[in-house]
Amino acid sequence: MVIAVLAAGAIGALARYGISLAFIRATNFPRAVLVVNVAGSLLGGAVLALVDRGIVDTGLHLILVTGIAGGLTTFSTWSVETLQFALSGRWRTAVANVVINLLLGLSAATAAYFVVYWFFLLHQYRP
Amino acid sequence: MAGWREVAAVAAGGMIGTGLRLTLDMVIPHGDTDFPLSTLLINVVGSFALGAMVATLWRRANTPNWLKVGLGSGTVGSFTTFSALIVSLLTEAQHGEWMLAVLYLLLSLVLGFGAALLGLSLGRRPRSLEIDMVDE
Repeated sequence: MVIAVLAAGAIGALARYGISLAFIRATNFPRAVLVVNVAGSLLGGAVLALVDRGIVDTGLHLILVTGIAGGLTTFSTWSVETLQFALSGRWRTAVANVVINLLLGLSAATAAYFVVYWFFLLHQYRP
Repeated sequence: MAGWREVAAVAAGGMIGTGLRLTLDMVIPHGDTDFPLSTLLINVVGSFALGAMVATLWRRANTPNWLKVGLGSGTVGSFTTFSALIVSLLTEAQHGEWMLAVLYLLLSLVLGFGAALLGLSLGRRPRSLEIDMVDE
């Protein structure tokens, strides 16, 4: 189980690294971190709904949330990049980076939670 | 440039970072309505570590790229997490623990970004001290 969570973390990290390379030319706004953080939050919200519906057990929850979503998303690059923008006088970008990550991350997780929760509730799915 | 060294370093770092985070989550477990101390510690320590590395190791011309991405993108990037913060805020709101959610978010932002600033300032301190001495 631990090996599977670690492997999932490596997959998340590789996906984040690949996305950071794909966005390397977009320097006005750190889009790569935004993309991975919103995608990981979406996955986290969806899995939380599956846990609440009794569809996903603890093991799969660890692999998907602690492994994939945890490895994919990052707090450190978000905080350090924001500070670098602020320190170089680009306050608007720094503030926007904080607000947009939080707003889109929370929205994605909440929306994914309700969509998945109601989908399985309406279909009366029970494992 | 993403050679095989970079890819291997990110994958290995991803496993190490995730393993450290998993360990801290197990050592300091928290329920849905408890304060997520492990995630806060992880994000604060990771922000400081990345800031410090960017300010010191990254500036050295001879630091190989695979080491930068292995430590930065791989290890510290996977150690810290944004999704756990968001999911905890969601579960706290679900349980009506709004004060806990606000406190957790504020502490994560203030301490996490403060730690990043502290880490980034490590590389600047000696230089500013030198300038002070010259001015005297």
